[in-house]
Formats: sequence, structure tokens, C-alpha cells
Amino acid sequence: MKISKKIISNLKEGGVDFFLSVPCKLLANMITILEIDKEVYYSGVPREEEGIGICAGAYLGNKLPCIMMQNTGIGNSVNSIVSLLQLYQMPVVFLISYRGTPGESVGAQGGMASITEKILDTLRIPMLHCSVEKDLDKISTFTNHAKVIEGPVAILFNFNLMKQD
Amino acid sequence: MNRFKLIGLIQEALQDNLVICNIGLPSQELYKINDRPNYFYMLGSMGLSSSIGLGLSLSINKNVISIDGDGSVLMNMNTLATIGNRAPANYTLLIIDNESYGSTGDQKTFTNEKTSLKDVAIGAGCEKVIECSGEETLENLTKAIADEDHSYVIISKIKSGNVPIKPIPLNPITIRDRFRKYIGLVSYL
Repeated sequence: MKISKKIISNLKEGGVDFFLSVPCKLLANMITILEIDKEVYYSGVPREEEGIGICAGAYLGNKLPCIMMQNTGIGNSVNSIVSLLQLYQMPVVFLISYRGTPGESVGAQGGMASITEKILDTLRIPMLHCSVEKDLDKISTFTNHAKVIEGPVAILFNFNLMKQD
Repeated sequence: MNRFKLIGLIQEALQDNLVICNIGLPSQELYKINDRPNYFYMLGSMGLSSSIGLGLSLSINKNVISIDGDGSVLMNMNTLATIGNRAPANYTLLIIDNESYGSTGDQKTFTNEKTSLKDVAIGAGCEKVIECSGEETLENLTKAIADEDHSYVIISKIKSGNVPIKPIPLNPITIRDRFRKYIGLVSYL
């Protein structure tokens, strides 16, 4: 739980007060933490693109939203990122479990893993890649960066990092 | 009744509330009929009007109405489950169901065949679901907005067909900022 607690706590410190997730087993502990957290809004959603729409509305209502998903979900999100979040310049934090990174046991995750950063790069989304515990200290500053640039930012965390949770 | 007439008819219920309007002709018609800063016109992301309105209604203590279409709801049907389980009482989803993709040349959607969005919404967990004619929409929408205890999904069945119309001349940041100024979140305009 210690890694999950630190991630959620640092996101909140950076201003996030509205969380959604499409579940991933690497996000399970964070979801458990958020489900009992009375300080922020949390809900699961069935699909990433819809979640991005909900985040856009939450931003219009003065929230700083975070959507949690697997990296596979980025594949479901592209049009809504470009023609909603970036078109209207809306800050949203993407918290992405980076399946298919070393430590992963499911070979099929390798495909989306191999193009995840290329997609984010093509979308010109700033990335924070967390592979060791010390990287988590950068989360709150990076979260606030979404507000400054008025657009989406992505925090990716590796499979092996979550083994220490 | 076509969509242009319907959007004109319901202005009385919409104009003092926060409205998220579907991309394409619905937004262009709404803009032409009665442009307001509290109307958020979608310029992209087809399918997400219902979801954007839901996120806004969860974040603010004001009435929010999402105007969506049958084609767009069919594209993002999972959001009816989220609405059925999470929508607060200040949220109303108005689905203008003309059984066609109006903005792309009036191709028929599946609501013209076997699909009932009313049944889908009920099955998804939405408790207050009203299907009505265009003529009955203002009355039902007014009732839905006034109800402080329940969220509503209204499916307004109308005829397909479009009027000649131009794209919205506003840029996206103008739409965003005047909308947020209306809420009280922007001080520099």
C-alpha cells in the first residue's frame, strides 16, 4: 500500500480533487484508498473515453480531475484528448499503469506497451515516468503543471515499482 | 417537428441553466436560435455530451442539461450506466432522437430499427426515463429540471431533417471562458 498511498497523496497535494478509474490490477490499491477518501470525488467508469468527457465537465466546474487507467486505455482515448481536452485547453492528469514493462507476466501487454510513449509523444502530452520510489516525489509538481499549461499531462508508473507496494 | 423547431421550443427551459450541446448541427442550431454564454458548444469528441454534462453536474451545485442525439448516445452507450448509477439530481440528459445521423447526411441509426434508448436507459439503471414527442418535450424538461430529488433522461422523438446553417464562429477558448465566467470562475473577461 505504501506506493499507492504516496501516489494518491502526492496527486492530492498537486491539487487533484476528482478521480475516475477504469480498473487495472496495478491500480487496485489506489482504488481501495480512494473509495474511502471523503476529501475527493471518486468513481469507476466503464470506458476511458467517457471518463475523459466526465473529466472535461469536472474541469468546467472547477475541479482538477485525474483519470486512472492502464496504458491500453490511451488507445481508447486519442480523439477525446485531441478534440476535447486539447481543443478547449483543459487540464486533466492521466495516471497510467504501464503494463508490459519489465516484471509483466502477460506477454500480450507488450504491444500497447511498445507504442504507449510514442502515442503520448505524438499527442505532445508531457510525461512523468516513475520507475523507482524516489520518482514519486515529482508527482505533485507535475500535477500542478497540468494547470499551468492548461492541458493533459501523463504520469506512468512501471510494473516493477508496484511490486514494492 | 424537426430538431431546429424543438431546440427553439425548449429555450424557455434551457436559457438560464448550464447546457452542454452535442457537436455538429445541434450546436449550430442552438447557436443560431439563442446564443448564450451558459451554452457550451462541442466542436469535437462526438458522443461525449452526456459525459461532459455529467462531470459538470457532479462538480457544481447548479442545474446541468446535456443535449445529445441518438447517434451520439449509441456511440457512447456505456455512459448511460454511469449516469444510472452516479448522476446527481441536478443532471438532465435530453436525447433528441430523430433516428438518424443528422449532421452527416441523415443516415438512419439503429433507433430506426429495433433499438429503444428508453429501454437501454432503464436497463442501465436510470430511474426517471421519459420518452415523449417533440411537442411534449418542453413540459417534461421543465418538470425534470425542477425536480430536486431525481435525475432524468428524456428521449424526445422527432422527425429527421436539417435547416441550412453555418459553422459556429466562436473559437473553443472563447466558448470555454465565457462559460466558466458565467459560473463565476473567470475574472479576466
